[in-house]
Amino acid sequence: MSVDREDILRTVERLVVEVAGDELLLAGPITMTTSFNADLELESIEFVALAEKLQQHYGAGVDFVGWISKKELDQIIALTVGELVEFIASCRS
Amino acid sequence: MPIVAAAGRATHVQELGAGPAVVMIHGLLIGSLASWYFTAAPQLARGHRVRVYDLRGHGRSERAASGYDTRTLAGDLDAVTADLREPFDLVGHSWGGLVALRYAIEHPARVRRLAIVEAPLPPSSALQMASFLADDGQLPARLLDALPAPLREAVASGRRQAERLMKSLELLVLESSLLADVRNEPDLADAELARVGTPALLLYGDSSACAPGGERLARALPAARHVVLPGGHYLHLDARDALARELEEFLA
Repeated sequence: MSVDREDILRTVERLVVEVAGDELLLAGPITMTTSFNADLELESIEFVALAEKLQQHYGAGVDFVGWISKKELDQIIALTVGELVEFIASCRS
Repeated sequence: MPIVAAAGRATHVQELGAGPAVVMIHGLLIGSLASWYFTAAPQLARGHRVRVYDLRGHGRSERAASGYDTRTLAGDLDAVTADLREPFDLVGHSWGGLVALRYAIEHPARVRRLAIVEAPLPPSSALQMASFLADDGQLPARLLDALPAPLREAVASGRRQAERLMKSLELLVLESSLLADVRNEPDLADAELARVGTPALLLYGDSSACAPGGERLARALPAARHVVLPGGHYLHLDARDALARELEEFLA
């Protein structure tokens, strides 16, 4: 994994912990294949808080809402950390 | 603007996009601003400044033991929109639709257009939509089995989400006046509805128990268009794209 992606992954992990607490990491560190819903069990309202923190961290260049608007509901439910990391990386390249 | 003080109460507000303001209100109990945030709000945000907020006692807004009647909630809405200078559009699902309607009745000059999704009439019939409540209005032992399908699929994967949802519902159902407020909400008089000149869009599901509410509003409101989409009460989930398209067209 590139340095940039590794860095984004750790940022996502840090912000997930800020939003939902570090007991989420009891099962181990967050990886690219970790699912927000099935693995982390984030509530939808926590996911909104995560999006807000990501937006604050990465700025308007990462259009999280526009990205979500193009996804089907089942794609949002199945979203993995890796997909989010790739999206953020693509906005920064 | 995540947590703001509205009428002295910590209220979770999020904004998406830029343009004329649209304020979206979610339904009671299992709703939160996420109900709109992951459904119609991102589409509308392409041409609007979309403001979504958690009703009192819901999501990340402050817990509240009382005040779930539409008048009090319309007062909260007034506080949440106090900074908006121009009239704005309102979109409300279920009880949120009744709050939007109440607000349009009380503040006609503030509301440009009104989109009501699956609002139950009479209001007290809202409890029939909460089919996940037991007959005595309490929380059933097997709450998860009774949730609407999309939500059940999202929370069924494990323990954490289910526990947190249960805790939030316990506070609302067992430790607040929410159910009593819904039961005691007076019906709207046809004469009162006839005075609502705000252009309105009524969106209802073809398999929803709320359908009679839509038919009655369509007859009583003078400037309403009634659209029936395939789906049930949780139309923002059942017909996500079609609902977003209808809202985009109406609010264009």
